[in-house]
Amino acid sequence: MPDVVRDPAALERLRVQRSRLADRMEPPWWYLTGSAVMWAVLFAGPFILQYLLHGVPTWPSLIGTAAALCLLRLLPWGLTRATGITVRLWNLRYRLGLPALIAMIVVWFAASETETFLIRHGLLAAAIVVAALAVAAQVTLLQVRLRGIRQELRAGGGAA
Amino acid sequence: MTAKAKPDPFIHPITRLSICGLLAAGADWVEFAALRDAAGISDSVLSKQSVALEDAGYVQVRKGAVGRRPRTWFRLTAQGRRALEGHLAWLAQLEEAASASSRDVSQVTVSSVNGRVAPRPVPSPD
Repeated sequence: MPDVVRDPAALERLRVQRSRLADRMEPPWWYLTGSAVMWAVLFAGPFILQYLLHGVPTWPSLIGTAAALCLLRLLPWGLTRATGITVRLWNLRYRLGLPALIAMIVVWFAASETETFLIRHGLLAAAIVVAALAVAAQVTLLQVRLRGIRQELRAGGGAA
Repeated sequence: MTAKAKPDPFIHPITRLSICGLLAAGADWVEFAALRDAAGISDSVLSKQSVALEDAGYVQVRKGAVGRRPRTWFRLTAQGRRALEGHLAWLAQLEEAASASSRDVSQVTVSSVNGRVAPRPVPSPD
């Protein structure tokens, strides 16, 4: 069996192999599209609460919530199946993509609160613009987060 | 790296080092095909080495299926991670020592070519 001491390029080879593994973590097109749909459903929550639940059965919001939860479960499963690598996007272990993760949480709460505020004051168009911008921001931040995870995989995640 | 540099003869062979190094890269679980492609080894080599690593307690193996296709997933155990970190630290020390010695050799060669002795460090006045 080959021995690392006789092969001075062993560590360099390991770096190349990690780089190959990180390259597999490229998300497929449907992953980003599905994420955009999931965030759109979540950001539609304040509109549903304001306009659909007055005297209307609660089924639209229930269906919306169920769809978002299904996507939340299905998307990581699909990504794992497509790439062969399991990573937890919401795990704080990946430091390189951590600012993007924090920004995602901040955008989530800030956009939801802003939407609610604008809808209450009758500024529907402004609320729709905020929701659309929030969805775009979340998808961009998700890509930044995934790029950070890829960099971490390439760097070895702390193990040299 | 903060791990104590310590060679581990079990993960010393390149294939095992590659498998453990890839599993330590940061993923929770890595699927058989992804690990095989990244390491650039054959199915049989990965099967054989993963069994050895599992028996040694360095790697955890999970078997499942996607539809009718069987799938195997690997993860590094805490014991495997400790061993790998120590071994990589030891390898990094070796690499550093090798590059330092090659630097010394090249310095001596340059000095002898110029026909003079390599300059010694000047002692401080105090």
